[in-house]
Amino acid sequence: MLRPPLRIDEHRIEHEPYYLPTGDELAIAEAAYYERAPLLLKGPTGCGKTRFMQYLAWRLQRPLVTVSCHDDLSTSDLVGRYLIRSGEAVWTDGPLTMAVRAGAICYLDEIVEARKDTTVVIHPLADDRRELPIEKRGELLTAPPEFMLAISYNPGYQSILKDLKTSTRQRFIALSFDYPAPEKEIEIVCREGGLDLEMARSLVKLAAMTRTLKDSGLPEGASTRLLIQTGKLIGRGIPIQTACRAAVSEALTDDVELLGALDEMVSSLF
Amino acid sequence: MDLETLKIQFYERVFPSLPNEWDVEEALSPLVAQESVQIEDVFAQIPAIWPVSHSLCFAYLSMAGPVFCSLAAEEQSLWVHTLLDRYETGGLHGAQVFMADRGQHFVRRLRGQGGLRLFEVRSRLQPYVNGLAGREILLIASDCASTDTECITLPSEIALFASNKENFLLYKLMVSFQWASIEAGLFTPPRCPLLSEETSHPLEAFFGDCTLPTTARQLYHFFETGRLLSYLRQELPGLMRKAASILPRLPLTGDTAETENLLDQLQRGLLRDDWTALNGSIVAQGAFKLLRRCEHKGADNQTSLDAVRELLPLLTEEEGDWAGTAPLVFQGPLRLQEIRELRMKRRRERELQFIKSLSLHIQQLRVKADAGREDDQESRNTAAGRQGQDLALIVNTENETRQTPPPTTSLRIENQEIPLTEELTKLAEEIRRDLGVLPEDYITSATGKAGHGFKATSAAAPAEGQGSTEPVVYDEWDYRRKGYRKQWCVVTEKALPTLQSSFIEQTLQQYKGQIRRLRNQFEQMRTSERFVRRQREGNDIDLDALVETLADIHAGRPPSDRVFIRLAREQRDIAAYFLVDMSNSTAGWVGQAIKEALVLICESMEVLNDRYGIYGFSGMRRLRCELFPVKRLDERYSLAVRQRIGAIGPKEYTRMAPAIRHMTSLFAKVEAKIRLLIVLSDGKPEDYDDYKGEYAIEDTRHALLEAKAKGIHPFCITIDRKAHDYMAHMYGEVNSIFIDEVRHLPARMPEIYRTLTT
Repeated sequence: MLRPPLRIDEHRIEHEPYYLPTGDELAIAEAAYYERAPLLLKGPTGCGKTRFMQYLAWRLQRPLVTVSCHDDLSTSDLVGRYLIRSGEAVWTDGPLTMAVRAGAICYLDEIVEARKDTTVVIHPLADDRRELPIEKRGELLTAPPEFMLAISYNPGYQSILKDLKTSTRQRFIALSFDYPAPEKEIEIVCREGGLDLEMARSLVKLAAMTRTLKDSGLPEGASTRLLIQTGKLIGRGIPIQTACRAAVSEALTDDVELLGALDEMVSSLF
Repeated sequence: MDLETLKIQFYERVFPSLPNEWDVEEALSPLVAQESVQIEDVFAQIPAIWPVSHSLCFAYLSMAGPVFCSLAAEEQSLWVHTLLDRYETGGLHGAQVFMADRGQHFVRRLRGQGGLRLFEVRSRLQPYVNGLAGREILLIASDCASTDTECITLPSEIALFASNKENFLLYKLMVSFQWASIEAGLFTPPRCPLLSEETSHPLEAFFGDCTLPTTARQLYHFFETGRLLSYLRQELPGLMRKAASILPRLPLTGDTAETENLLDQLQRGLLRDDWTALNGSIVAQGAFKLLRRCEHKGADNQTSLDAVRELLPLLTEEEGDWAGTAPLVFQGPLRLQEIRELRMKRRRERELQFIKSLSLHIQQLRVKADAGREDDQESRNTAAGRQGQDLALIVNTENETRQTPPPTTSLRIENQEIPLTEELTKLAEEIRRDLGVLPEDYITSATGKAGHGFKATSAAAPAEGQGSTEPVVYDEWDYRRKGYRKQWCVVTEKALPTLQSSFIEQTLQQYKGQIRRLRNQFEQMRTSERFVRRQREGNDIDLDALVETLADIHAGRPPSDRVFIRLAREQRDIAAYFLVDMSNSTAGWVGQAIKEALVLICESMEVLNDRYGIYGFSGMRRLRCELFPVKRLDERYSLAVRQRIGAIGPKEYTRMAPAIRHMTSLFAKVEAKIRLLIVLSDGKPEDYDDYKGEYAIEDTRHALLEAKAKGIHPFCITIDRKAHDYMAHMYGEVNSIFIDEVRHLPARMPEIYRTLTT
């Protein structure tokens, strides 16, 4: 199968993405960028890690190459491989190599999903060498000062299989993300979900309730992203309770009893 | 039918038991008048009840006749099922109460006309209230709604409304209201504390100071109810919108009383918005205005206290006698005393825990410091000399600019900065929130304890056989009634002592050659990486395929696009538990062989990356089922594990099913593609009580079926002299193997594991 070469210009972010800072994460990330240190973002799903990277890339005016990691991701998927094109073997850069060459920001999302041997390839890039060896071509790429590496992971899985290697994590400046404080979250849901203040407040209240159900069998509560999606459904004319059921309850769990309890929360709040 | 015939039939049913003839006659006499068809039905249930309890069976016989008249054939066994459940939860008395209404209630419920019971809705309401509160607030069945701030009690049944939808809504309203009373500060002490909390709740003290204490209490609760309802309207508008339909229909004491007092009138006004009765009196008008003030947004319980203070002097003793007026159904009584006791208990627990953790922490720090210093003796002497005058100072290490006080992250003791652990910081924070300060004597006693108790605590290793985790309760399957005995068996995990013996060395020596061979075999099962050629996509180019393709192109043949090579990894994602019978019957050769087999399997497993755990089980009676962790799933095969294998020995009985259920629940926390449960036993499950024969076999079989339903592969290895018919039934044909020669077991076991997992 032939694939068109990846083009870096497609990864430029033209318009300012909406991002509401919750602390000093922006200052730290910018400092890390200028000091050429890689970034590690951790936090629960849907709390704004990816949006933060987009915003950072926009502020720094660098292209953002995002790779969603999965357990079949191999080193060649990141670095690149030879492809056969009209009878000739042609080298094609992977997203990581492309980002290094172009001095872009490479963001490896959910890095723990990738196998541990794959992630080792980023080690020389993540320390002061800032090098990417491409073994198959016998090439050693040195990253330009504009290049930045960022990875993210969700420590909430609590599975030993899905933990980050210490040798990997010790190379990064770590930023911890969490769901925003209620007032900020209301603002975000208002703006992104296109809701009025009162509705956004109730949705955030609902999310807060679901986030405390860890011991009742809900490992992760409703994320800000889910609330925004609910808001969008409501905006399209879906009745509130149906929207909550579709975008929050059903998205969170399959457990009939928990679903029932979530429904009760929804029907109490709205 | 005459009594003699009945007796004969009865003795036939309960054979081989020979119960006292007097009892039998007494129990059977009410049945004499019944028709023989019905007696047949009643007798048909005896085999299910007799083994559970003889006295229950007698009680059943004397009362079942009339009940069975009113029940359809298929309802009878359900009724007996419920009866057994009641007996097991509420004892003989509970069963008698259940039988007393001659099945009326049961029938109504069965036909969908009864009320709603708490246990039916608890699974829905419990997470609901946890979500509301952000912490676990247990829901407990009782006779009315109330709370002690840790739990919420609810009536065990609500049958106020014809439809269960509305009954459920009332449950939900009760839960939400009780939660609101905690959340919105119904129990907050008055601003000027009148009495210390040592003797009674400050609110209680406040009421005691009023002219009519009981009235003050009722009035306060009423105003608070008004305030909480408006709080709920604001916080949970959806709920209150729905509840608006049931609130006016809730019963009031005033509906049935001959004369209405002021509280009755106020309650009516609050629920039904009917204030006409209040028009006549000035006091009532005043109360109405005060209620409105309490309902106002931003009011707190001080507003209600002020309202009480304002209204009470206007009431005469006669007017204020509201003894006959019950609280509203969702309101319930105020449990101030219990709340105070809970608070004091929690405070004491926190104090003890803080002192214990801090003293331990100081000791650890000292040990660390001493290790690095030669002159430790001197420093410890001075430390001991100065305790008692220790000065503690809370040091806030973070900046003070924030609004909330920053957490205490370190303490200054003996002029030394001592950083606190996360746990201690949290505790200190809780104490400070409760008391306002971190009392100095907590720290003094902790330092004192750290000075004295040094040796005692450092040697505090867990004692042998001590329960290492909380006991867990499991259901048991009763085949006779085709249902579970609810919460029947209590399983406790107990630590095995580590035993130093030459057993391991001897075994390793004896099976030296075999172990080497097994390791080789097991090595071949390890995760394999291999190149898969001729793929459409891959990491590298498959040169052979490429050459062929190019040749094909030149020859004008259609070329293949499979020119890549891919590295395929086959991962073994296996978790296995070995469950080992430690019953008395394994004494001698069988136990020895099992232990040897465990050593062999451990030695072989070490070359694999499979996760595995070993648990032994034994026990006596349903309340003492014991599991002995030999190796937990993620534990290393260490010296301690080897010594624990050495310590495996015959204990008591073989109640296998609870152990299997416990392993199933352990597996629930394990993420693996294949989950394997290997049970090693020497025969039939059996316990000291009635757990034997068919009952035990069916229960074990059911436990295995439950495991299978949860995606676990059970496999049973039985060591016995001859194979029994029940084995295939209990374990399933393909899920078990029978070994008649004990000495073959050690060799066979790794082999079995290998076959199972490849």
